[in-house]
Amino acid sequence: MKTEEQKKIVLTDASMIITEACVQSGADVFIGYPITPSNRFYQYGGNRFPLFLAGPDEITVMQWMAGLSTAGRFPVTATAFPGLALMMEGLNMSYMMELPMLLIITQRLGPSTGSATTGAQGDLGVLHGAISGGYPLPVFCPSDFEDSWYLTHEAIKTSIALRTPVVLLTSKEMVMTSKSFDISDLKPLERLSMNFDSDPIELPYQTYRSGQKMVPPFVPAGNDEYQVRFNSSTHDNEGMIRKNNPESLNNTRRLKEKIEKRLNEYTFFEYDQQDDSKDLIVSYGISAEASRDACAEWRKSGHKASLLIVKTLLPVAPDILGIIRQFERVHFVEENITGLYREIIFGKMHADSVFSVEKIGSMITPEEIIKSLQS
Amino acid sequence: MTTNMLTDVKMPFCPGCGHGIIVKSISKSLEDIGYQPNDVVIVTDIGCAGLVDPLFNTHTVHGLHGRAPALGVGVAMGLNNKNKKVIVIQGDGGATIGLQHILEAARRNINLTLIVFNNLLYGMTGGQISGLSTDKFKSDRDLEPGIPPFDIVRLAHEAGAVSSARVVSPRNFNEYLKKALDAPGFSLIEMASMCTSYAVSKLKELEEYSEEENALTNRRAPVEATFRQTSSLFDRLQGIPRMFGSKIHQRLGIVLAGSAGGGVQSAAMLLAKAGTLSGLHSTMKGEYPVTVGTGFSIAEVILSTEPVHYTGLNKPDVLIIVSEDGLSVAKHLINKNVLVLADDKLDVSQYPEVISMPFVQEAGKRGAALSGLSEWIRRSGMLELQSLVEAIGKHKHGESLLKALFALEKKS
Repeated sequence: MKTEEQKKIVLTDASMIITEACVQSGADVFIGYPITPSNRFYQYGGNRFPLFLAGPDEITVMQWMAGLSTAGRFPVTATAFPGLALMMEGLNMSYMMELPMLLIITQRLGPSTGSATTGAQGDLGVLHGAISGGYPLPVFCPSDFEDSWYLTHEAIKTSIALRTPVVLLTSKEMVMTSKSFDISDLKPLERLSMNFDSDPIELPYQTYRSGQKMVPPFVPAGNDEYQVRFNSSTHDNEGMIRKNNPESLNNTRRLKEKIEKRLNEYTFFEYDQQDDSKDLIVSYGISAEASRDACAEWRKSGHKASLLIVKTLLPVAPDILGIIRQFERVHFVEENITGLYREIIFGKMHADSVFSVEKIGSMITPEEIIKSLQS
Repeated sequence: MTTNMLTDVKMPFCPGCGHGIIVKSISKSLEDIGYQPNDVVIVTDIGCAGLVDPLFNTHTVHGLHGRAPALGVGVAMGLNNKNKKVIVIQGDGGATIGLQHILEAARRNINLTLIVFNNLLYGMTGGQISGLSTDKFKSDRDLEPGIPPFDIVRLAHEAGAVSSARVVSPRNFNEYLKKALDAPGFSLIEMASMCTSYAVSKLKELEEYSEEENALTNRRAPVEATFRQTSSLFDRLQGIPRMFGSKIHQRLGIVLAGSAGGGVQSAAMLLAKAGTLSGLHSTMKGEYPVTVGTGFSIAEVILSTEPVHYTGLNKPDVLIIVSEDGLSVAKHLINKNVLVLADDKLDVSQYPEVISMPFVQEAGKRGAALSGLSEWIRRSGMLELQSLVEAIGKHKHGESLLKALFALEKKS
C-alpha cells in the first residue's frame, strides 16, 4: 500500500499517457495533422517527441512517416477516420515495404466527417479490411489509462518485432476525458531499438530475406555497410520489382504469415470469469468501462456473468474465440449500430445466442448492458 | 562493395526512350561530385521514370505515384546527414499528381534533389497528357489546347527551392545536374525526355515541344531535422495532494452549461482539481461544437469516493446554466431530482425548481460558471470552498478567477 507521499495524483488524459508511453518506448518522431479528436496528441507530441513535424495533410503525413521509417526512425501519428481514409494508400505502402510505425486512431462519429466531437467505435471494420488482399494489420485497443500506457508499449514492440505498421485504436471519450490518476502506478518503459528481436543478418544482406522469425532484419536506408532496397510493389528478397515469380509471391504470403505466426506474443485481453456463468459480456475500448460497471452491478444483484475485454482486436486470436465458445449467451458491447466486432467474430450468421448492445451518439451505459443481460 | 553507381542491369525502357540518357547523366554527375553508392538514396515514383531502381547500385526506395517527393522528405529528415544524398525521381505525371508534395518540400527547403523526367505524358498508361504536357504538344494533338502546363520550375522556385531548373538539351544535362545535386537544400531539375512510343522520336521535335531551359536560385539555408532532448510530460505535472475533506458520498455528477469562451471548461477543470484535492476521484470532459469559439459549451464533472470507470453522465445531480446556449442544450436535464442553478437573466419560468442567481451580472460572462460552482458549494457544503481557491493556485488568470469565485458571496 502506497503512502500519500509515494503517490503522484494528477489530472490527465489518455492522449498524454499514450504520448509519453510512445517516447519512453523509443518512438522519436510525431507527424500529424490535428484532426479532432486527435488534437491533444498533436499538442503533447509537439512538446515531447524528439522531432515533431506538422504535416499539411494525411497523405503527406504517411509518406513522411514511411520515409523516416526507412531511415531507421520510429514515427507516430494520430488521426480520426477522415484522416485515416487519406492514409490508406500510404498505410498499404508501408505495410508492403515492412516499415515499423504507429497509427493512433481516435474514433469519432461518422460516416464521413460525421460529428467531430462525438465519440464512437466505428472504425474497426475499416481496419479489418484496410490492407488489400485482407492481410492482417495488428490493432490494439486500450480500455483504460493503464492500458494506454502498457499497450502502447506493446504496440510499438510488435511493430518493430514484426516490421509492420500497427494501429492503436482509441476514441474521443478516451483521449479527451481528464481523470484523476496516480501516475506513480505506471512503471517506466523499456526503450526499444530497431531490430531488438530480429533474425541475424545473413550476407549478402537482402532487405526482404527472412529467417526463422519470418521477419527480415531491418537495416536503414543510407547506411554505409549494406545496400538496402525498399519496395512498395511486389518484390523479391532483394527488393526488386518481380511480377509473379515464386520468390516474390512467397514474400507477399510471408506478410500474412509473419503476423499470424507470433499472434500469441501480442494477444492481450482481460478475462474475468465467473464460475457457472452462462452469459459473457464482450467489449473493448471506450465501452469496456461501462461493461466492467455493468458486470459488477449484475453480480451484485445475485446474477452471474463473465467479462471479456479484448485489447488486441486484430488479428483475432484463437484464445479469444476459445473463450467466446464456452458461453451460451454472448453480449457484444460496442458504440456503433452495426456490430463491427461481433461481425468479425460471427460474420453474418446471427445466432440466437448472440446479442448486441449497440448505440451511436453517446456512450453505452451500464444500464443498457444490464438490459441485454436481462433479455 | 562496388564504386559504380550503375548496375549491369539492362535498361528497361522502350527503344529510343530518353530516360536512359538521363539515368547515365545522373550516374556520371554523382561520380563526378564524388559520391559512393551507399551515400545515395534514390526514391522513385510510379511510371516509366520509376523503373530505374535496379539500374542503380545505391540504396533505393520505390514508392507510389506522385508521392515520391514526400517519401523523399521523410528519408532526408530521417537521415539528417549532409554527407548523404537523397534523390527523388518521378515523371511529369507523378509531378502533377503530387504537386503539393513538391511545393511543401521546396517550402521547407529539405535537403534533396527532385529530378522530373518530363516526356510530356503518362507513358506507362498509354500516353495520356499530364499537367506538365506543354501547350504546343497538346495543341498538335487537339487535347486541351490553350491550357498552359504547370511551370514546375517556377513553382518550386516561388515555394523556396534553392535551385530550380529546366534542361532540354542532353548536352547540358551534366552541368545542370551537378548544380542541382550540389545545391544545399531543395533542388528541382526538370529534364526533357523522349517517349518514342507516344510522344516524339526525334530530339529536334522534343526541343520544339519543350518549354525553354531555365535556371532559378534562392538563397536559403536548408532546414535540418532537430532531434531534441525533452523531459517527461509527467514530470511537468504537479501532483494534487489530498488537502481537504468533502461531504460527497459515492458519486456526484455536475454539469456546467454555457457558451464557448465563457470559462465553462476551465471552471470544470478547476472543480475536478478541487475534487482531487479533496481526496475524491474526479473526471472531467467537455462537449462543444467543432467551432470552439462559438455556440454552446458543456462540461461534465464526476466526483466520487470510488474509482470512476464509466465516465458518462446522463443523470447529473447538479446543473449550472449560465447562458442561453447552455440552457438550450441542457434543459432536457432539468428535473426535480437535480439541483439547478441558472443565471437570473435566463427565462426558466417553466421550471419552478430552478434557482436563479445573477452570475453574469456579478462575475461577468467569463466568471459566471465559476461563480455558479462556488454558489453550489456554499449551498451544499459538499466541498470546502478553499479547495477551489487552492485549485486556482498560481493560475495565470488567478486574480480574476478568485474574483469570480467570491463575486456572489455577499448575496448568498
